[in-house]
Amino acid sequence: MAASSAVVAILASIWLCSSIAADASGSSSETTMHTNNWAVLVCTSRFWFNYRHMANTLSLYRTVKRLGIPDERIILMLADDMACNSRNKYPAQVFNNENHWLNLYGDNVEVDYRGYEVTVENFLRVLTGRHESAVPRSKRLLSDEGSHILLYMTGHGGDEFLKFQDSEELQSHDLADAVKQMKEKHRFKELLIMVDTCQAATLFNQLHSPGVLAIASSMKGENSYSHHLDSDVGVSVVDRFTFYTLAFFERLNMYDNASLSRLFNSYDPNLLMSNAYYRTDLYQRNLQEVPVTNFFGSVMETVHTDSAYRAFPQKNTPRETRIRTGKTAEDDSRRSILTDMTKAECPFTRIVSSLESKMETVGNLDSLVNYGLVMILPVLVVSVWLST
Amino acid sequence: MPTANTQEENSKSELQKNHGGGGGFTRWAVVAVIFRLALIYFPGNLNLSSRPEVSTPLTSIRRLAEGYWLKQSSMSPYAGSMYHGSPLLLSVLGPLTVKRIEGQPGHILCSLVFVLADLISAILIRATGRKLQIAYRKSLKSLNLPNKSTDSGALSSGDIAALVYLWNPFTIVACVGLSTSPVENLFTILTLYGAATGLAPLAAFGWVMATHLSLYPAILIIPVILLLGYGPDAPPSKLFRSKEHGKVGDGKSSQEIIFSWRRAFHLLVWTSLWSVYVLVLCSISVKQHGSLQEMFQRTYGFILTVEDLSPNIGVLWYFFAEVFDFFRDFFLIVFHSNILFMILPLAIRLKHRPCFLAFVYIAISSMLKSYPSVGDSALYLGLLGLFLDELADMQFSFFLFCGYVGVSLLSPVMHNLWIWRGTGNANFYYATAMAYACFQIVLVVESVSSMLNHDRKLTKLSTSKLQK
Repeated sequence: MAASSAVVAILASIWLCSSIAADASGSSSETTMHTNNWAVLVCTSRFWFNYRHMANTLSLYRTVKRLGIPDERIILMLADDMACNSRNKYPAQVFNNENHWLNLYGDNVEVDYRGYEVTVENFLRVLTGRHESAVPRSKRLLSDEGSHILLYMTGHGGDEFLKFQDSEELQSHDLADAVKQMKEKHRFKELLIMVDTCQAATLFNQLHSPGVLAIASSMKGENSYSHHLDSDVGVSVVDRFTFYTLAFFERLNMYDNASLSRLFNSYDPNLLMSNAYYRTDLYQRNLQEVPVTNFFGSVMETVHTDSAYRAFPQKNTPRETRIRTGKTAEDDSRRSILTDMTKAECPFTRIVSSLESKMETVGNLDSLVNYGLVMILPVLVVSVWLST
Repeated sequence: MPTANTQEENSKSELQKNHGGGGGFTRWAVVAVIFRLALIYFPGNLNLSSRPEVSTPLTSIRRLAEGYWLKQSSMSPYAGSMYHGSPLLLSVLGPLTVKRIEGQPGHILCSLVFVLADLISAILIRATGRKLQIAYRKSLKSLNLPNKSTDSGALSSGDIAALVYLWNPFTIVACVGLSTSPVENLFTILTLYGAATGLAPLAAFGWVMATHLSLYPAILIIPVILLLGYGPDAPPSKLFRSKEHGKVGDGKSSQEIIFSWRRAFHLLVWTSLWSVYVLVLCSISVKQHGSLQEMFQRTYGFILTVEDLSPNIGVLWYFFAEVFDFFRDFFLIVFHSNILFMILPLAIRLKHRPCFLAFVYIAISSMLKSYPSVGDSALYLGLLGLFLDELADMQFSFFLFCGYVGVSLLSPVMHNLWIWRGTGNANFYYATAMAYACFQIVLVVESVSSMLNHDRKLTKLSTSKLQK
């Protein structure tokens, strides 16, 4: 009897603990508020013939900035060797369309990691937040538990890997580990990973962390194709998946509430020449309720309150602290001894201290000051009358 | 005594004449108040409170509101280096910045306080002008000199000075732009009024409050002592002494001006009483979250060390933006002694005209203070009107008027070019500030020289009369 009741008690406590833990982890993502949006945009290729990958990333950078995320919350990693490449017929200009209507390399492009700094190590450091102390704040992902992060990667990839700058590779378990570390460190509330490479869906095979949404441009065994060739520049200027993503976003402005399901449903396999795949099993919310600006823009719901904002708690006045301590009798006796000792001192300080103690008993010092100010007038009138 | 009766009758007739002019003054004063109220009802006070010419770090109403909010949040109002004024002003104006009335523009109560301060200042200037004019006419009569006072129409010089103060665009802009300079000007004018009418407690109160609000009226203690000791402005005392030697056995009372030590002593006693009172009130006010030393450091220390280098119409900000730290203290001493070393020579030269001395001190300190604004200029331009009789022959008056108008039009333009359009730079704006300082210098120099010329003319006239 006693043993069975003990077992029941142990089981109940274990269940209670797990439920509390589940509640804590489950409710943490529900009870923390969504407070800010971050974007990490990574172009993993270099060299002139990978022009379209840089154009992809810069197009998404422009879209994300247009919809409201400021540069402080965008980490842009590019090899950045296209715009001023000696083979570029249009120096300092990068286009994503052969009509050359939009120059993506305008005068407010802030690249955080450029050239040979775009490495797998730096990418993982950005995601996990484990930098050396000398790394400046503009190169860090300073997200917190209320952040929604958009992670966009483009380049050349394959089965469960992504090629970085033609020398390294990022594997799917590296990415999954990094995301798991981010989740443990409460570095995001929700994460949207968007990858535009060949066989991109395989990169998500190892992901297990909750709150992650992933969309890829092609499935295992399929290639992602470029959209069109610009005969003037001489290379392909944009990839299909990114092209149709941008086509979806160009119709939007900051205040539209188009949902993620509309975005995901807008991809036509015939136009993409591949099957866009999205993974929602790790994501609790219904995609039809989530506006795209939750990840791609930065629109906050502001709640107007009329009450005053108390910045700091009330400082404890000495009166309150004296009441707080339980040893008031001792203090009183000690204080009386001290006052006996101070009686021998200068009477001025005695008067001042007695005035101060009396003032502490007065409720509101401000009203005393107001009385003093009001008293000025009759004193003035009386003094003037006296002196005439 | 027939001569005494005629003197009384003359002063009474003068008063009656002034009463006719009083109607004109009241009418114009009411119109000025209505004009200010009309401007206040424009949206956002015409954005005047954000102009650097109007609101300085010492006089800005937004900083006062911030200081009041800090105080309400149980912090010292000087935390964060926003508010640099008096805690008493915070207790008076602070609640008014928060209180809103339905359907009225924001800060309407503060605006009403400033309009009231302007009105009282104008009334006090008028009363001071009247006292000065009576004393001037009496002194001229005792010297048997013809009365050349310009009683233009129905308005005396006091009325003209008060109306100039009320209708000066600088005053209107300072009042509508919600800077606290109308209150500071009110206390300075109260000091002069109390001293001119011989009321030592009133003068002491005004001086203590004016010094407490902004540090620079401290130098007015000298003209106030001279006003109470010698009486209102009069021709040089040597004229009266030569008169004594000239006419012996005359029934006229001796107009020998003796310094009244009793009054000066009264003034000092009342000054100390009022300063103790104000200091006690301030210490009670700042006791909870700060100390009196912090208050002095943040108010007087801020004024003396020129911490804030945001642009204004003064000449200090540009200089202290580029001076090296090693020399900063030296140049602070130089700039502040620029005002101090002029005190003694002017006091020696103009001790028989203490009210005019006060005007010159106010003009110099308005020009060379750390954070000048148009409210300070409004004060001395209003007081200039008190001396129209003596300064009738001032040179360059039209040039100065055009200069003031030109600078007050160009200065906002240059500020816009520099800050908002980016096609100008700080030199554009500082050039207008320097031009403004030049015009003020010319005004001070010309007014002092024309006052001294006036005295020389009186001396010549009276000696020629004696020789006859």
